[in-house]
Amino acid sequence: MSVVLRVSRLSARRGRRDVLRDVAFSVLDREILGVIGPNGAGKTTLFECVAGVLPRTSGTIDGEPLFYVPDAIRPWPDQTVRWTLELNARMFGARADASLLDALDLTQLLDQTTASLSKGEAKRLNIALGLSVPRPILFLDEPFDGLDFRQTRHAIDVLKGVVRGSAAPSEGALEAHTTRRTLVLSIHQLSDAARVCDRFLLLDHGRIVGEGTLDELGGNLEEAFLART
Amino acid sequence: MRGRELVRKDVAELFAGRAFWLLLLFVGLLTGQSFISAVDAYAEASGIGGGAAALAQGLSPLDGILVPTAGAYYLAIMLLFPFVAIRLIASEKSSGAWKLMLQWPLRMGDHLVSKVLALLIAWLIALIPFAIAIALWLAYGGHLYAPETINLLAGYTLYFVLTASVAMAAAALMPGAANAAVAILGLTIGTWALDFLATGRGGLVQRLASFTPAAALRVFERGLMRKDLVLALLALSVLALFIAGIALGLGAPLRKRITHSAVAIVVAAIALTLAAHVNISSDLSENRRNSFAPADEQMLANIDRPLTITVFLAAEDPRMNDYENNVLTKLRRTIRDLRVRYPFGGSSALFENDARYGEIHYALGGRTAVERSATEEIVIETIEKLWSGGRPRPPKQDAPDDGTFSSRRPGAAAAPQYPGYPLAKRARGAAWIFYALWPLAVITAWRLRSRRTG
Repeated sequence: MSVVLRVSRLSARRGRRDVLRDVAFSVLDREILGVIGPNGAGKTTLFECVAGVLPRTSGTIDGEPLFYVPDAIRPWPDQTVRWTLELNARMFGARADASLLDALDLTQLLDQTTASLSKGEAKRLNIALGLSVPRPILFLDEPFDGLDFRQTRHAIDVLKGVVRGSAAPSEGALEAHTTRRTLVLSIHQLSDAARVCDRFLLLDHGRIVGEGTLDELGGNLEEAFLART
Repeated sequence: MRGRELVRKDVAELFAGRAFWLLLLFVGLLTGQSFISAVDAYAEASGIGGGAAALAQGLSPLDGILVPTAGAYYLAIMLLFPFVAIRLIASEKSSGAWKLMLQWPLRMGDHLVSKVLALLIAWLIALIPFAIAIALWLAYGGHLYAPETINLLAGYTLYFVLTASVAMAAAALMPGAANAAVAILGLTIGTWALDFLATGRGGLVQRLASFTPAAALRVFERGLMRKDLVLALLALSVLALFIAGIALGLGAPLRKRITHSAVAIVVAAIALTLAAHVNISSDLSENRRNSFAPADEQMLANIDRPLTITVFLAAEDPRMNDYENNVLTKLRRTIRDLRVRYPFGGSSALFENDARYGEIHYALGGRTAVERSATEEIVIETIEKLWSGGRPRPPKQDAPDDGTFSSRRPGAAAAPQYPGYPLAKRARGAAWIFYALWPLAVITAWRLRSRRTG
């Protein structure tokens, strides 16, 4: 698989604190890369620096266009889900994929305001916001945080379907512009990460402490992480 | 295409907040109260109910109706609109929408222009009560002079644009809407203090204070369109928007943002300094209250040497106020090189023992004169004597009748006198419109909008 994004020697500071130190990694075409690390490891900062919504002190980012969906956002709380999805997609000359909304159980929520959504519903909206944007690479920060185990499994199926270009189980075919993506996910639940990701980036205190597939990391993410930190 | 989407988004966001609907509600009530009081006071001055009528020439709809009615908008712009503007940015920052928007294929300028356009649409909607007041006034048989009405609205619109821009900058710089609101209120109080302290003190402080919103509005309320003021208000608005853009560019390093802000402030300071030297103004008042008679203006315009006036009056002295508003304002428009000094500008005059107190000294071309009168006629005669060296002025020619009025001294020119427009009518039906129909319309529109979004 070819490299679609290359991050080199990325560093970032918050005040006097180094939050990222010489982070370097590559993202391969149509893979799901999981960025794993405890709270405060620098996962969100890494995503925001790569997306250009936070400044970096050094480093380069080369590759295809990407879109980043932050964690715990509830954009335009007084507007409806439909309005929010359509607006974000239209800004990229696209439109929201009805099959995707079905797959994420959002169809019945389209006329509700985003402020009225539960945490899990808002999380599914955020996944849909990202997938509605026709950018080849998608960064999702904690996409499963707030979802129950059934919703998490369902969301994992949807994301895998998006990358593989196949339909999610029991839903109609996803539109072409929704599929064939490369995903970079920040996940702190190791079991979820093991289920969805093809490759992993282990981050601790702003440094990459490990990188590879589950097999390359020894078959157990928890052990691999503890051994390296 | 995307630009239109952006404006639609910002307008939708504006309508989505309760702040805008509350603003509309209060603006209608405030305008109604101001208009009804103004019409009643005007009617009494015009002799309604058998009372003695004021001199007709003194009854100007600009002073009697338009300025008091527009006063409601001074309060709205100062105390209500900033919150609407702050919400437009703070809500997107706090909800996380801004981080999505930063990734849209648009420039920062697109976002800011879109928000300014949305706020201007809000301003136009908020002007509906003012339009109703004008329509009622005309329906009562009242008179309006279009240039001074448009000039007044232009002044308020510039004030609105400045306030909206500064509120946007505060929302962009501050974490949270509450902090931005405190910053804006602090700034407003600061401009009041500057305006109060600078009166009659001269120098840079007075020059700076003339650009504060309250002082700027007073100029437009006199029917005067000063180009330096327009340029200064626009320059400050652009500066505020530029700083908002820098603060909202979250991806730029802090050092770069500080450098860009500093450069913007320096450029704006240069622009303000240049604007302060633009001495071009238009008297758009119907009674030409900001102008001398044409013949006097011609004489004053011919003075090609510096005229120095030293005013030995304290800032709080009412004569100082009269002299500033009735004489100096006009002289500044007419004389090319006018230098005014205020030796007692910083004193209260309560314990002033200086023998010169109350005097006004004039110096022109090596000649000097001292007067105590602050009336326009005496001032003109004094300057005329200094300029002509005591020689009598050649016989005055009748000024061409250009349709403008003159309130000048007898014999100065034969321009027609301002007739005044008395109107002894009560504000019939206005209370129903502003206190019942307007709130009902606003609440209905808000309910309809809420229903659409579920």
